[in-house]
Amino acid sequence: MAGILDVPKPRINCSMLSQFISRAICFVGRVEKVHPTGKMFTVMDGEGKTATVELNEPLEEELSGIVEVIGMVSNKGEIMASTYNLLREDKGIPFDLELYNEALKVIHDFPQHYPFQVAASG
Amino acid sequence: MTTKLTHGAVEALVKGSHVENPVLQLLNIRQINTTGVPRYRLIMSDGQHYLSSFLMATQLNHLAEENLLVPHCVCLLKRTTSNTLSDGRHVVVIVDMEVLKSAEEAGEKIGNPKSYSTDGQLSSPNKVSSTTSEPSSTSAAEGPGPSNNSKGWGTGFTGKAPVKTSPMKTFPMKGSPMKTSPMKASPMMTCPMKGSQMKGSSMMTCPMKGSPMKGSSMMTSPMKGSQMKGSPMMTSPMKGSPMKGSPMMTSPMKGSPMKASTSSPGSVPKVMPIATLNPYISKWTIRARVTNKSNIRNWSNSRGEGKLFSFEVVDESGEIRITAFNNEVDKFFTLLEQGKVYYISKATLKVANKQYTTLKNDYEMTLQAHSSIVPCTDSPEVPVMQCDFVPIGELENRDKDSIVDLIGVCNSAEDVSRITTKTSREVSKRAISLIDTTGKVVTVTLWGEEAEKFDDSGQPVVAIKGARLSDFRGISLSALFSSTIMVNPDLPEAFRLRAWYDREGYAVDSQSLTETMSVSVGSKMNWRTLSDVKNENMGHGEKADYFSCVATIVYMRKENCLYQACPSSDCNKKVIDQQNGFYRCEKCNREFPNFKYRLLLSANLADFGDNQWVTCFQETAEVLLGRKAEELGQLRETDEAEFDEVFQKANFSTHIFKNRVKLETYNDESRVKVTVMEVLPVDHRVYSRRLLSNIQKLAH
Repeated sequence: MAGILDVPKPRINCSMLSQFISRAICFVGRVEKVHPTGKMFTVMDGEGKTATVELNEPLEEELSGIVEVIGMVSNKGEIMASTYNLLREDKGIPFDLELYNEALKVIHDFPQHYPFQVAASG
Repeated sequence: MTTKLTHGAVEALVKGSHVENPVLQLLNIRQINTTGVPRYRLIMSDGQHYLSSFLMATQLNHLAEENLLVPHCVCLLKRTTSNTLSDGRHVVVIVDMEVLKSAEEAGEKIGNPKSYSTDGQLSSPNKVSSTTSEPSSTSAAEGPGPSNNSKGWGTGFTGKAPVKTSPMKTFPMKGSPMKTSPMKASPMMTCPMKGSQMKGSSMMTCPMKGSPMKGSSMMTSPMKGSQMKGSPMMTSPMKGSPMKGSPMMTSPMKGSPMKASTSSPGSVPKVMPIATLNPYISKWTIRARVTNKSNIRNWSNSRGEGKLFSFEVVDESGEIRITAFNNEVDKFFTLLEQGKVYYISKATLKVANKQYTTLKNDYEMTLQAHSSIVPCTDSPEVPVMQCDFVPIGELENRDKDSIVDLIGVCNSAEDVSRITTKTSREVSKRAISLIDTTGKVVTVTLWGEEAEKFDDSGQPVVAIKGARLSDFRGISLSALFSSTIMVNPDLPEAFRLRAWYDREGYAVDSQSLTETMSVSVGSKMNWRTLSDVKNENMGHGEKADYFSCVATIVYMRKENCLYQACPSSDCNKKVIDQQNGFYRCEKCNREFPNFKYRLLLSANLADFGDNQWVTCFQETAEVLLGRKAEELGQLRETDEAEFDEVFQKANFSTHIFKNRVKLETYNDESRVKVTVMEVLPVDHRVYSRRLLSNIQKLAH
């Protein structure tokens, strides 16, 4: 877990998953269904596509709304989550997932203007 | 070929004897309006005599309405009945009739019939057509005017009946000494002459309600000094003749009797279109609907004082503004009702003063003492309003300050607020927003009474005529004193809008043209970054520049943010502490035992590119700090820690700033000064969209 936190984690959506296999990423989406075991759930991104998130330990709480997941993309295109973070819906302005998706596209279309890679390490 | 008329038929019919299928020639026809169904009265001639006491049964009305009964046509009377009226007169009712020959075929009056008067009284309907008569607009042509020897047309007429008739056959008025004796016109024959002294009326008159006929219709020749009771219509100078009961037959009795309710039979005036009015026409009448009536206004200036009211009327051809002053105000104000149709004539026309009206007419009208206005009861063709609605989406293409008509559904309205104008007048104001089928929304400001009485419940359709387009906050409209506001008007566009709105319009996510803070049409919403201020040399021009930006506060001068100001409500000048418990204001030239705290905050704003010192006055400073000046003043004296805390909290907060930039010179030194006019919270979604759209633009 420590390792992943030191590395830049590009924000992506479902269409970009295949390009980031075996890499650390950050995924923001709306929780759809939680697997009965609590170790897996699906999220939908701003484009309406769905991805699967797998956890190390089963969930201890109810999960719903918008969540930000940090993890690695598996060979099968699933997100192996290291940590997640629920965005509170009761406070602040509601999160606009479509708008977020637009921003994602811009970031990826113009990487020269968004040099996130120059990052964390020393 | 001359048709043979049945001589003697007239006499026989009147006396009640039977005549087998008499052939008679129609000399004239008039409509009399009883309540309800119109009735037609005919003057029939048998070549020997003519008689005006022919009434047509209502089942034959179609003959008249289809214009088959044109004077000089020849008819065959198939069935008739005779009646004797209470006053002894005889009337022949034609129950069935056929037109044998049309007027063209017959040509002219056959023979030289004389009037057959049954009792020496009324008989000949004196069609006194005036010399200058224009053909009346009714079906029948001007009846033959009084022949030059029309006598006894009511007193004083003798031999003076001037009417030079127009080429119409004259009626030798024989034997009807139209005495001034009260000629009680029989109700059948005349139009409701209620209480008018319709003396010697010619039956075919129009309702003369005894009003002093002000030379009623266009056709009148100068009726000097005559007490025209009942319209003189077409008489020629009846000097001094108490024209009682003029020969209405042909008169376009236009509204002469001011309150002639039922339009007189045959006196349906010849109406001309408003669009053709000009000051050079001598006699005219219009029929129009009142679209807008103002209140009575009093004025008082160096030349005196008076009162006036004005109204606008519309007909199929156009619209015109009419004003009444002083006495005419009293006379006409209560008579005229908005939405009703009137015959108006004898007002003066002059070139329109465009300063006071937005109507499309080169001329405007002023009512005079002799002007006449008569209500018109049946005129479905007169439009309710002449409007040229502009779709909201097209407003952007119109010029600022232009006058437009608008129609839309009111999907929201603010509450009424009262504001004080520069002239210190208090006025009510209300902003309503209208949406139409273009999906665009615009804000309209209503003022005064309109603002107060506007009812926005149920999303009404609102039509506004004559509102001014302004570039205040993008595109917005303001109702003027002369504007007409109609709620749920009876117009086809209104129905269309209602249907559209109920079906889909209510859900339309509309784009308001009157945005508070979006990219609008070149007004104060000018998005810039702080580096632009220097790069673009903002404020260096003659006029101040205005711009909006998203920026973060990075520093505030809390040491000198408050000052002691004059406690008078309109004065904000800094007061001098006299050190004796009194504070002096130089501007008011007074001393006060107290003062009020006011904020004058110097702050430094920054964004990604640059930072900028700005000044915030009371209102904007209070927004930034989240406290009122008075509170802060107290806090500074009592609890310094909390005072500091206020500034700590505000520091590094991000807002939208609307600013004014100007280069100012103070003692040989020029500096660009930026003042914050308004502080607004950042709406991140809107901001993001704007950024995204800017990126798209840059990317191409």
